[in-house]
This record gives sequence, structure tokens and C-alpha cells, in this order.
Amino acid sequence: MSKMVNFAIDLGTTNSLIAKFEKGQVEVFKNPNGFRETLPSVVGFRNDRILVGEPARNYMINKDPKSVGSRFKRKMGTTETIKLHSAGGSKTPVELSAFVLKELKNFVHSGEVVDAVVITIPASFDTAQSNATREAGLAAGFRQVILLQEPIAASLAYANKEKSVDLRNSQWMVYDLGGGTFDVALVKITEGELTVVDHEGDNYLGGTDFDALVVERILVPEIDRRGKFTDLLKQMKSEKGKYNKLWYRLVNAAETVKIELSTNTSAEIDLGMLGLQDEDGNQVDSLLTLTRSEFEDVIKDSVDGTVEMMRTILTRNSLRPDDLAFVLMVGGGSYIPFVRKRIEELMGISVNTSIDPTNAIVVGAAYFAGTKEIQTGDDAKKAPTTGRSLKVRAVYNRNTQETEETFNAKIEGDIAGLYYRIVSEDGAFDSGLKALAGRIAEDLPLREGAFNLFQFRIVDSQNNPISTGVDSIQIAQGRYSVVGQMLPEDICLVTDDLANKDTRLRKILAKNGVLPAKPPKVTVEVAQTIVKGSDDEIRIILVEGPSEKHSSTNKPMFILRISGKQINRDLLKGTEIDLDFAMSESRDLTVSAYLNGTGQEFSQVAQVTNRHVDTPLLTSEVVQLEARIQSEADEATSNANHDVAEKLGLLLRQVRGLISECGALASDDVTDDRFKLEDKKRRVAQEVFELTSSKRLDAAKGAYTEAKQEVSSLVQENGNDREKHQLRELLALEQTFINSTNPERIETVIRDLERIRWQILMRLPDFLIGMFNHLLERRATMNDQVQAKQLLESGKRLIANEAWDDLRQVSGRLWELLPDQERESDYLRLYTGIV
Amino acid sequence: MAQRPAIDVQKWALTLLNNLYEIERKLSVHGDPGNAGRNIEKIKDAMMGEGLFYEDPLGQPFKETRTDLEATISGNNTDDLVVVEVIKPIIRAGQAQFSRVVQKGIVLVQAKVEGGAE
Repeated sequence: MSKMVNFAIDLGTTNSLIAKFEKGQVEVFKNPNGFRETLPSVVGFRNDRILVGEPARNYMINKDPKSVGSRFKRKMGTTETIKLHSAGGSKTPVELSAFVLKELKNFVHSGEVVDAVVITIPASFDTAQSNATREAGLAAGFRQVILLQEPIAASLAYANKEKSVDLRNSQWMVYDLGGGTFDVALVKITEGELTVVDHEGDNYLGGTDFDALVVERILVPEIDRRGKFTDLLKQMKSEKGKYNKLWYRLVNAAETVKIELSTNTSAEIDLGMLGLQDEDGNQVDSLLTLTRSEFEDVIKDSVDGTVEMMRTILTRNSLRPDDLAFVLMVGGGSYIPFVRKRIEELMGISVNTSIDPTNAIVVGAAYFAGTKEIQTGDDAKKAPTTGRSLKVRAVYNRNTQETEETFNAKIEGDIAGLYYRIVSEDGAFDSGLKALAGRIAEDLPLREGAFNLFQFRIVDSQNNPISTGVDSIQIAQGRYSVVGQMLPEDICLVTDDLANKDTRLRKILAKNGVLPAKPPKVTVEVAQTIVKGSDDEIRIILVEGPSEKHSSTNKPMFILRISGKQINRDLLKGTEIDLDFAMSESRDLTVSAYLNGTGQEFSQVAQVTNRHVDTPLLTSEVVQLEARIQSEADEATSNANHDVAEKLGLLLRQVRGLISECGALASDDVTDDRFKLEDKKRRVAQEVFELTSSKRLDAAKGAYTEAKQEVSSLVQENGNDREKHQLRELLALEQTFINSTNPERIETVIRDLERIRWQILMRLPDFLIGMFNHLLERRATMNDQVQAKQLLESGKRLIANEAWDDLRQVSGRLWELLPDQERESDYLRLYTGIV
Repeated sequence: MAQRPAIDVQKWALTLLNNLYEIERKLSVHGDPGNAGRNIEKIKDAMMGEGLFYEDPLGQPFKETRTDLEATISGNNTDDLVVVEVIKPIIRAGQAQFSRVVQKGIVLVQAKVEGGAE
């Protein structure tokens, strides 16, 4: 079976595209670095680099025009060469076009080698210009180049899209208003073949001209009116002008609003980010509104000029507008509704906008390529052999702390006529094409704390890759470096565990993490209202040690206290506190707490090498530890667990000794006694934790099994789809937590199960009635008897009316009337004050 | 040579991040008495959790090899360029260790020696 050409290129004056026909569909390839289908047809030479496309256009076209080739398509087929400052001489339009064509090959993400291609040319191209285009294609390494006129390509795109339309014996115009050029052509079907009969054009009219008009005629006068300026437009257009930056900013904004005005009747430009000031330093109102009719007014003359060219074609060919079937709109400019409307108005014929104006030409050309066979005879130019092999020895730091590293390589072999290129995998760096030398050095920018990947390629003059064995460069910046300091232990935040009357640990920084480190922000809540001016406080406590253990077993390293005396208003229960942490390489720990309720921020830096032991806190911890050991020992005794009970008895004696030692310690003790005491306390706590951890784990597993059974049957009977799904999700993870040695992981799941349980119960009438009756019994203890009476009466009515939603609300309000001790019968003495 | 596949990011996510950036800039220009910056940080954290974040290139050096920026040069000098104004930030997808550019930053750059105009 013969192979088809399939690939097509729209080699445009301002932008170029590449597409492929495959199985009846056309794919337009995207620029790997630009997220767009288009590649600006611009080639720049800067020092030893060759840049093609956006970097050349953005960076150099206005600033170093002597080193940039653009709009060279219009010079194809002439003997004119383009003098390029940095390229060390001149380049022909063919050479420059070849660079663009080679760059387009990189768009083909499938990695296919493109041997043959259809390249489109304007209707205005004569034989010399056409041959020059073919030559550029061959220079770019294509073995076969087929040319196709752009209006024909656009017509093919239309015919393939609207298959049912019969175009036989008809003629139409293709109106192509691009970024910087305008072409219009009369296309006809004669003897079954598509032919361009006549054409007109303007090489310097396009969308970018419209943007500049909007800035000059609408935006600048408006800004001028709003403040005091002298010769604002001049100040904006002049390189050294005070408002030069504003010019670029407005041109960019004009392009955006132009697009927006294609769908909306008005659009806004918001320059609020700039903080624009007039000459007197007064802020200028920075919201500019532009209506579609204002926009239409400024482009009207240009658009009317294009219609004149269409009329010229008609006159020359003795045609009337109604001899045309339609006007086919191509190019970005044809998105503008006014352009379409104006053509319809002035010409009296319908415009056709059914094809994508941006890629219609390349799409049509790809359909054509799908019908053309690849020639295999002598006609096809032989591709040069690329069988040469090179030896590349690369030297660079694979781990670094720097933000830039130099990639060095020594190349052995025949390097004549070869180039190299380095492109980052993340899309942020492209060295451009550079001539290969025996030694190369390229500075590569690195992202901090990231794994930086680059692609290294050596290609011949036709962009064919040469195999070298080195195709990627990998550099780990910062965090992966082995010389970085590692954390020996987890660093955890201590929070209160209200349900278990205990504390829990939340991991902030993980063991073996590399410093410096900045973990994500943590948000906690105030567990109990702190009254302004009171001695109540919250404590942000950080400890060092395994996160699955208990705060008492880990080394205290940091405490930040915020008391009622420091706050500017009451800090209500439930208020969020945002905590930010950062640890430097020298282990300085910075903790900032922002109180959302008061708008205050507290920050403290602690050197971890200086351990912090707070004597009153230590005393309270030891007392707490004693109570805990006592209760654990009692429990072990009642369970006839004599071995554990005996060991706990020993620990109890030790801890009692610690209590008296703490009592003897002055609160401002300056010796290291408190450190020793803290050490002893921690050892005791560690032992208690180990003695009782299996018990906690068993208890957690038991509680889980119970909760699972209860919630499962409840969900089965009364749960909705969402709750069934939630339960399934939780149970699916059972293996991951049930075998864990960390009771807290299991307890977290139990809490999730409880939440589902409450969700369901709060819908069930029986439960709601039960809860209401329970509240009814506690009526006498409620805080506001008048309100309680009203609510209870209303609750009874709601039960009679079966208004369950309202009953739930009434019960909620009654619950609020219960005094605190009723709600939380055994009140927890808070340790940190945060949950 | 095969290339990396394109990452499809929903347009709403890019719009959200672009506007978030714009709010952040406006607050820094006009002040933030209500401390809205904290809410912005929270939204950014949430988006980061979804693998999307933006990078503010303001003040960063610019070279022609940078392909994460679409730059317009203000002034004559083209050496030692820095980003002096950001119209859109760079948006990246991924995690801190490895991410890819999904939206180029649109910026204005200027030579350091020319100083700040306006």
C-alpha cells in the first residue's frame, strides 16, 4: 500500500502551523513550549544562539531588529538577503523559512520523522516565490515538498467540514485577515478543480494594528481625561518616556478586550494592579470601559479598505456580489463581528464562518496531504545520512544548592554542521539552537527544591537527531542534596483531645526531612473562650519525637503562649488560629500564630539547640502523669493484669518523687535541674506509654468493631446513597488502619463513623423525639426559663405535626440553653487550649 | 523524539488563579486593612493541594532562554533584564518537587540600569 504525505504546514507571514491527517481526522499540533498551535514566523540570532518563534518575537523584534528576521515570507523568491547583526552576515529568506519549518517538526509529539509535507503559499506567489518555498522545505530536511495555495486550502477545510454543500459551478471569496497581513482571493471550481482566479492584499494590515488603534484613539484619551498628564501618548510611545511601560500594558489589554468584544457588547480593562498615578501623584481611576461600538468606530476605515479590495476583484472579473456563493472567513481578524457585518452590509453577500479561522489553512492542507502519495522514485531528493555517531562526555553537578548550574560536555567525533539544544521538561527553559563545538557549556536555571529535568539533543542542519547516548540532564536542587541537614525526629504540634481528655500529636515536620523546611500552614481552633484581660491562655507547643507516641514521651522544644492579657478582644471558642512554621538549616524554628478572631499575629523564634523547659508546665505535666499512672494501675489490677500493675506501681513511686522535686524547684530556677527533671519525666512517660499502648490499641480496635457494626446496620436501614458511599469508602481502607500500631489512626476512623451515625440519627423521628424528651426532663436546669418554655411548647406542637426539620432546630436551641456542665458533664482541664 | 504530553488544565482553574493573583497584587498596591491576604493564602493552599499553583515572576531576571514567560521589553537596553510588571503569573501543575508550566507568565521586562519608569 502506498504511503500518503499526511503532514501539512501553513508557513505564514506572521504565524505558522503544522497538522497531520490520520484516519479521516486532522490533528493540529501544539507548540510544546507555548500551549498554542501557532509558531510566530520569526527567527532571531543572539550571541551564539538561534531562537525561533515566541522568544525571538517577544524578546528581540522591537529591541534588536538587526538580529531578527521576520516577515521574510514576503521576500521569498527575491535576491534580497536579510542582514543580521548577530548571525555574522546575511541570511536568505529561504534559510530563515527553513529554520521555521525545522522548528515546526518539533511540534510533532508522536516523534514521527516527517519526510514529506504539503506547504501552503499565498495566492500571490509567482513561480520564483513558489520554488523558493519548496527549496526552504528541502533545506529543512523534507524529502518531498508539495505546494498548495492558501485560499484553496481554506476552501478544502470548508468542503471537508460541510460535506453536504455542493460547490460545483460556484465561486466564492476567501477573506484572510491575519495578525499582520490581509489577503483576499476569488476561488472558483473550473472543470472540477479548485482554482484561484484573482487576489488582492495588504502586507501591513492585521489584528495587531487594531490593538494599537484602540490604545491610541480610545484608551489614552480616556486616561488623559482622568488625571493631569502632559503629552501622554508621546510619553507612552517614547522609549525613555515616563509612561513607556503603560503603552505595552495597554496594547496587551487592548488585545484581550478585542477578543472579549467579539462576544460581549462591552468590556472592561482593569489596571488596578498598577496603581496608576498622574503627574501630580494622584491616583487615576483605573477601570476603563470599552464598548463594542467604540471599537467598531476605530477599525471602521481599515475594514472598509478591505471591502474596497474585494470590490476591485469583482470589477476586474466583471462580477457582481451576488455572483459569489459566500465569503469564507479565515484568520484571527474574522472573529470580529463587525468585520463580518461590514462585509455583509457593503457587499450584500453572506459571510461564512463555519471553519476555525486560525487553523483553517493548515487543516485544509492536511486533508489535501492525506490524498497525496509519497514519491519513492528518483524525484524524491535523498535525505542526507545521519548515521554518524558522536561521543559525548557530560560533566555537571547532579545535586546542588545553587539556583543555576553549568552543564559542561566534551564532544568527540565529526561535529561539523551540527547543533545542540537543551529544553527543560517543565517548559520553562529553551537554550535555542546552538552550533556544536568540541566543548560546550550552558547555564541551566534550576527551580528551588525541585527535581530539574532537561532534554539534551544534538541535531544536524535539517533537525534530524544524532544519537549520542546522553539525552537527558537531571539535577536535584536543594532538598535532595545529601549535604543538607536532616531532621532526626518528627516535629509535632500538641493539641487537646477533648473526647479522650488527653492530648494528641499532629506531625508538622517529618523525620529525615531536609532543612531548611517550610511545612504547609496548619489551622487549629480555640478549644475554650479566652476572655480579654484574663490569665487564661493558649499554648502552641511543639515536641520532638515519634508522632504516633504521646506528647509526654517526646522532647519539648518550643512553646508560644498567648494569654488573655495579650489579646485585644475575647477569643471565642471555635475561632481559627493559623499557624505557620519554618525551620532554618541551623534549626532556628519560627512559629507564627495568627488569631482570626482578633486579627493579631504572634511570632516567636526558638533555637532548637536551646531546649525550653517551663517549670510550672513541667509541674502540671508530672501531676497529670501521676493521675494517669494511678488510673492505669487501678485498671490493670482490676483486670488481674498483675505484671503490668506491678510495673506501673514502680513508675508511680518514681513520679511521686518527681512531684516533690518539682515542688522544690523555683519558677525562675536558673540551674539545669529542670532539664534533668524533664528528662526523668519523659522516661517515665515513655515507659507508661509502652506498657499501656497495647491496651489502647486493643481498646481502639474494640471500639472500632462496635462502631462499625452499629453504623453499618444504621446505614443499611436508614442511610442515603451518599452515606452508603461514605461508609464503603471508609471500610475499604480498613486494612490500612486496623493493622496499624497507632491507636489514633483507628480513633480517627471511629470519629468518621460517628459522624455518619449522627448524620442519620438527626433525620430519624424516633431519635429526634427521644432527644426532645431528654431535653424536656432537663428543663429545670436551663439558663433562660422563659425561652425554654416557649421552645418546649413549640417542640410539642412540631412533634404533633411531624415537622421533624423544625424540631431538630428547636432541640438545637434548647441544647444551647443547658448549662456547660450539663453539656459536658466531666469538663476537661485544657492542656494547650487548642484543638 | 517523543515529547511530553500536554497537560489539560480546566480553564476555570486558570481564571481563578489569575484573578487570585490580581487580587493579591491589588492588595499589595492599595493596602489590605481587612487582612484578606490570609484568605488568599488559604485558597492558594487549597489549589496547591489540587496540584496547581502560581509563581510571581516579579523582580526575577529575564533571559531569552526563559520559555515560561511571554515578555515585552520596555526601554532600549536589552542586557541584564528583570521583570518589572506582571500581567499574568506563571501557572504550574504538579508538586513542589516537579511541576510543569501550564500557563506562561505575561510580563513586562526592563534593564536593571534604566531604573523604574513611572
